[in-house]
Amino acid sequence: MSARSATGPVADRRGRALIGVVLAWLFPGLGHAYLGRRRIALLYALIVTATFLLGLSFEGRLYSPDRSQPLTLLATFAVYGAGIVNIVARLFSDNPGGSILAVTYEYGCAYLLTGGLMNLLLMLDVWDIANGRKAR
Amino acid sequence: MKFVPADHFLIMALYALLVSGFFALLWRDGRRERLKLFGVLMGALVLGGLAVAWLMYPFPS
Repeated sequence: MSARSATGPVADRRGRALIGVVLAWLFPGLGHAYLGRRRIALLYALIVTATFLLGLSFEGRLYSPDRSQPLTLLATFAVYGAGIVNIVARLFSDNPGGSILAVTYEYGCAYLLTGGLMNLLLMLDVWDIANGRKAR
Repeated sequence: MKFVPADHFLIMALYALLVSGFFALLWRDGRRERLKLFGVLMGALVLGGLAVAWLMYPFPS
């Protein structure tokens, strides 16, 4: 009984942290909103979504793995960090590979990668907050 | 569809604005501390970008 009561809160915290991380991946800021940090969640959602959408508007590339270019694996991981925003963009984009001839192509890629990486950092932040490693 | 004109400095400054805002929120607590870090990051990114551009100017394309 005593062992159960000692692990209970830890298991609850872990479960809460996992749900928070999954929500954070689904949409930027959702994990923070789940943990009760609604104002900052809104700001994160605005910044990360704006970064990703600007990347799309600059005709950047939504990376997919390419065997001839191993680094595209890392880029794919980064872009998929943006969660549903990335998936919806892939579904509705006419040209997910971007327009390499566009003058803003490189900027677009940088914005898209940054948006995804920002959201990956937010997932780690949610994990730390939920586990009490970071002040609320 | 482009929301921002294809201007190199504008795109760089906008990138600096978004990244600085994000890390100021993530790394600091309190309005004053966040504004301070935002200013430092924004200045470093924009001025650093201009400095690198200036250093590369003499090189042939």
